[in-house]
Amino acid sequence: MSGVTANQTDQRRQPQSQSNERHIERPFWLIGNPDNRRTKGLQQARLECGLSPAKVIPYADVLKTWRQGGSLADVVNPGLQRKATAEVAPLIRMDAPGEQWDVERELLSLGAKDGDPNTESLSRESFTAEEALELRQDWGRIYAPAQWFNGWKGCLKRIGREAGELWPSARFLNDPEDIATMFDKRKCQQHLSAHRVDVPPVLQSPEQILSYSELRAAMQASGMYRVFVKLACGSAASGVVAYQINPRTGAEIAVTTVGMAVVKGRPIFYNEGRMQRYTRNEEIKTLLDWLCAEGAQIERWMAKASYGSRVFDIRQLVAGGHAGHAIVRLSQTPITNLHLRNERMLPEEAGVDGYRLGLVQTAAQTAMAAFPNSWSAGIDVMLSGGDNPRTYVLDVNPFGDLLYHVQHNGLGTYEWEMDILRKEPYEHA
Amino acid sequence: MQEVKLTVSFDDYENGIRMENLIRELAANPEAGTLESLVIGDWGQAYESSPDEFMNVLIELAPSFRSLKKLFIGDMGFEECEVSWIIQTDLTPLLKAFPELKSFTVKGSSGLSLEPLQHAKLEELVIICGGLPQEVLSSITNAQLPELRKLELYLGVDDYGFDGSLEDVLPLLEQGRFPKLVYLGLKDSEIQDDIAKAVAQAPIVDQLEVLDLSQGTLSDEGAEALLASDKIKKLKHLDLSYHYMTDEMLIRWKRSGLSVDVSDQQQSDEDDWRYPSLTE
Repeated sequence: MSGVTANQTDQRRQPQSQSNERHIERPFWLIGNPDNRRTKGLQQARLECGLSPAKVIPYADVLKTWRQGGSLADVVNPGLQRKATAEVAPLIRMDAPGEQWDVERELLSLGAKDGDPNTESLSRESFTAEEALELRQDWGRIYAPAQWFNGWKGCLKRIGREAGELWPSARFLNDPEDIATMFDKRKCQQHLSAHRVDVPPVLQSPEQILSYSELRAAMQASGMYRVFVKLACGSAASGVVAYQINPRTGAEIAVTTVGMAVVKGRPIFYNEGRMQRYTRNEEIKTLLDWLCAEGAQIERWMAKASYGSRVFDIRQLVAGGHAGHAIVRLSQTPITNLHLRNERMLPEEAGVDGYRLGLVQTAAQTAMAAFPNSWSAGIDVMLSGGDNPRTYVLDVNPFGDLLYHVQHNGLGTYEWEMDILRKEPYEHA
Repeated sequence: MQEVKLTVSFDDYENGIRMENLIRELAANPEAGTLESLVIGDWGQAYESSPDEFMNVLIELAPSFRSLKKLFIGDMGFEECEVSWIIQTDLTPLLKAFPELKSFTVKGSSGLSLEPLQHAKLEELVIICGGLPQEVLSSITNAQLPELRKLELYLGVDDYGFDGSLEDVLPLLEQGRFPKLVYLGLKDSEIQDDIAKAVAQAPIVDQLEVLDLSQGTLSDEGAEALLASDKIKKLKHLDLSYHYMTDEMLIRWKRSGLSVDVSDQQQSDEDDWRYPSLTE
């Protein structure tokens, strides 16, 4: 609550006289991982805003219950079911499933294609549903990303369907189908592009590029020598490679956080805390063969605006149509994500003037408007350099509100969001 | 006008804009005659096209920039072009076209030539690159630059074009080559220790105010030689930032009472390999 005086807090806790008829507070359900930073941050914000605590529905319980033949109704307690009437329809927030090993295993298991040989290309890593549940965590390792995403999409779909059947009056803050689209970097960019949001140009038909050699050929054919190859289903910087070929000399460079090791004669891939720089052809081929086989978004790597010797993009939070917190993410490498210990600044600190910030806010709001059934996201926007900067939307993160040490109108991210919800109750179709 | 930076962004390039157009536009500006510093940034696809695409225009329009004192060719970041991939060219005609120039900076060494390097008024020469070719180094050691006060060279690594050795650097340490030189930067080198040891006892240090051995692989070995030198003690400032010296050595520098920058300490990698700063 730093930066907010006690007086303001008290004011915010006052009932709003104009909205007396809305004083029945909607129950708020949070599907997430209990006790992590997100859940704690959100509960704290609700407390600060004078709202009752969210009912937390753990992913681990949901996934296990499904596996044992149950449904969401078996996880959510009966008392809450009775309350879920049209007058006090619950609002459901789905949060990030990550960083919890039992949930990861369940998602991998749910995404397994047991006994269905037609669905996966052979070069992809895969586990059976049973194998997945037995996996022991090898810290940082990226397990079968396409299979994981299959599980995650299945989870989203089933939550959406069961909630609709069990509690028809319930509403999702972010629509589960939208979350699936936002998570799929290929689908998301296509969706944004169709809604006239500027995104980096894509290498022709990336979905047909399943190997390093196909990638090289496509880059040559299009004259696009600098690309980002991103795991289509990756979150944050996981599985992002900035790859470039020197058309004159044939030299190639891949900069990424993906580390590689060989275990029992097979390459395995994991997230490194430090940026890796590969220049040897064999290494680059191993890396990109894997990435392309798992499904990759391949887009032009465009020069981002710079501040001193570092380049930056901006994470712009949008909630309820409002542009809120903005964080400038600076990097000495092409990859700017927040998890890489890259420096963060407020826009004014990094010399982003009001005009440029306005462009970023507009781009982020336009991107959010392409998802009318979703309420909030952290939108990553880059500005091009030069005197006439343009904006490009790089990523839409449905869980992009976990931002520390930044305030908007004197509020942290979760407080700001809960404050908006309190003042403008959310009603979408 | 003080300084202008011209950059052809990706969108501009796609729309057919070339550096040549920007230079012509700038020259036509009534204030061009008062411009003091011109920075040529990314000219578009710098890994394929050299400054030849615009150099003749800049030479032709040189009279429009009659107040120009500083010129920078190739100020671009890694997202625009990897420094070792920037294609340079023979920039000698450009220097000749600006006889009043005082400061000249070049980024990128691939294809770079400065032969012969002669300029009656140049006070500052900076070459930023991943590896300085022996040929360019030789042009510099044989240069006629009577007014040169600051020389800053990124020597780099052999992978990125440094095909010389300590022997090629040593002539720069002879006294009298550049009589007015007060700032010498021999930096970003993979043989930074050898350079430090050679510089520590070199006659040229007597005329210097600042010695810049930053950005390279300097370790305690080179630092010992510097600390042991009486010549080094007379410097106004020593820049050793970005280095591989130990904590103990940093304490010794602190106790030395010298004005020395030892920030940005690096750790060798798992194979005990040390990299200079600008090796991408």
